Amino acid sequence: MPLSTQSQADIDQYILIASLDNARNLSNILKAISFKDHAIFNATQNGLKVTVEDSKCLQANAFIQADIFQEYTIKEDTVGFQVNLTVLLDCLTIFGASTTPGVCTALRMCYNGYGYPLTLFLEEGGVVTVCKINTQEPEEPIDFDFCSTNVTNKVILQSESLKEAFSELDMTSEVLQITMSPSHPYFRLSTFGNSGNAHYDYPKDSDMMELFQCTKLQTNRYKISLLKPSTKALALSCKVSVRTDSRGFLSLQYLVRNDDGQICFVEYYCCPDEEVGEE
Amino acid sequence: MALKLAVRTVNSSQSAYACFYFTPLFFQKYIPDPDTLKDCDAVKCKLNIKCVLPLFRCVAWRERSVDRCEITINIPDSRVIFQFHCRHGITKTHNLGYQESEALQAVFPAHLCPNVLKAQSKLLGDIVVHFPISQEEVTLSISSYKVALKTFYEEENGCINGMNTELMLHPDEFDYFQVGEDSAVTFCLKELRGLLSFAESYGLPISCQFGIAGQPVSFSVKDMTLEAHVVLSTLTDPNLESPSQPAHGDDCHVTIPKTSTVEVSTSEGPMEADVSIADEERVVSSQGSEVFNPALHMRKMIQLHAPGEILPRPTFVPESALTTPITPATFKIRSLLFGAMLSDGGDGNTADLPSLACGSDTEEDGGSEETQVATSANLKQRMHGRYCRM
Repeated sequence: MPLSTQSQADIDQYILIASLDNARNLSNILKAISFKDHAIFNATQNGLKVTVEDSKCLQANAFIQADIFQEYTIKEDTVGFQVNLTVLLDCLTIFGASTTPGVCTALRMCYNGYGYPLTLFLEEGGVVTVCKINTQEPEEPIDFDFCSTNVTNKVILQSESLKEAFSELDMTSEVLQITMSPSHPYFRLSTFGNSGNAHYDYPKDSDMMELFQCTKLQTNRYKISLLKPSTKALALSCKVSVRTDSRGFLSLQYLVRNDDGQICFVEYYCCPDEEVGEE
Repeated sequence: MALKLAVRTVNSSQSAYACFYFTPLFFQKYIPDPDTLKDCDAVKCKLNIKCVLPLFRCVAWRERSVDRCEITINIPDSRVIFQFHCRHGITKTHNLGYQESEALQAVFPAHLCPNVLKAQSKLLGDIVVHFPISQEEVTLSISSYKVALKTFYEEENGCINGMNTELMLHPDEFDYFQVGEDSAVTFCLKELRGLLSFAESYGLPISCQFGIAGQPVSFSVKDMTLEAHVVLSTLTDPNLESPSQPAHGDDCHVTIPKTSTVEVSTSEGPMEADVSIADEERVVSSQGSEVFNPALHMRKMIQLHAPGEILPRPTFVPESALTTPITPATFKIRSLLFGAMLSDGGDGNTADLPSLACGSDTEEDGGSEETQVATSANLKQRMHGRYCRM
């Protein structure tokens, strides 16, 4: 296989090497956060974290643990860079979106360090493509300061039940309102559009509700345009956890199973649109 | 007056009208509010159809997930509430604002139609499947020995550019065949497809009543729980029309329909003009007033009728021909009208509302013709026409 004909010297200079037999295990999860062009990559011993932000109000992170990769070598504590995510995805899917079983694109992603491009070796059916994508200085991702101790309300739902709601959200509404409460309506998504308002209610004893921990009534509104991209992550996932903290910040965490059944995580953080107030 | 839920719509050029009547039997529960209805015969409200249709759009979801649908009219808040009770305890509630309105009713003398056909919906479905979806108009012709349906093109050379299809049927193919007057009527097929697929899914036979070119054609289905009618205006036959003087000195603009259907746009604008509800089914004899059409084909409009109004004498004045104000062509929103009539209580059984037949709009402004059309609740009872069969 051509990828293994790299000389030892080449391999030595890389500070990060990550290989996958199936590039879709990376590209699918990156698509779930690809609502902006630029992504911040942060690699540690534990794996890869990719961050995309929008308007300083929304942040999406994809986590691909080290053990997802067939090969994962990192020579520094942390390796960070920024690349154009759209370009990266185009390269990862450069052989087309073939879903023929058994045929997949193999990937080897290599990075020399600061100032060097991100090098991708992609192979399918004996054909090898080498892509070099320019990297930029990584920006510091926003710290939403969302910690579990501040979490007021938390639910975990099976994604199936939320998928319909998100795909049919009334986009003429500017906001998506999320109400969480220990009593009725328990968990409610609301939109306020041109024709009227809509409410999606999930009771706490629904069999779609895997976990329900709501301590007090909270109603928060978020810009629907910011949350709509999370529909992609929802579509990939099997479970989603919805948490709000005392400030009304929203955390959505998606459990995604890749083609090989391995688990990855995607999370979205969003600031509330306005103070609706807690009752 | 029987309890029912009436859902009606008309396109902006008033060349297609559809109404569905659901008796309480159609529903699991039908609960009129006696307090509200003691002051008026019916609750009447008007919704934008584009807001309602998406709620019922996804067939797979509906059939798989929805257990029950509740429709409530909340008068204090001016809301119609569609609430879907889904599996897993999930509830989806849509509160749609409505406008008050008088319900409209097409006035169509079905009992006076010389020609009547009745067929299983499957037959009609099998017939129209041969016409491309994009085909706008078709001509239905009848004589004592055959019925034919063929594509219609306005332009002379239209038949060169497109594909022509013609189907001929023997009277025996129909469950009921009555020809009182040989004729050929041309109407918009697109606007009928909704009713046809509805009838097929319910397995209901379809009745078709029509007369000569220019008079409306009516299609209807009926069973114990519901009744649906689509009334379409038809093109006049230029060969038969004789020129006559416009009255009142107004000049009569002949509107040539460029297309017979219109895309519905999402433009905001006032809803359809108010039209009135008939408190009881009213049968009005057709005036049979053919308005002149000097040169070209023209589509007559459906007369919409207000109760208590004396039907106007036919005039040739454009846009006053209808008893109701015409919606300018710029306002292309179709509206969906609800009316619920009070009488005795009743209970019924149902599931979700079926998809409603939708007309499509035409681009044209009001024409200079009028047609009076009366509709009756039970068309069959009023058909006294001659029965003629080979």
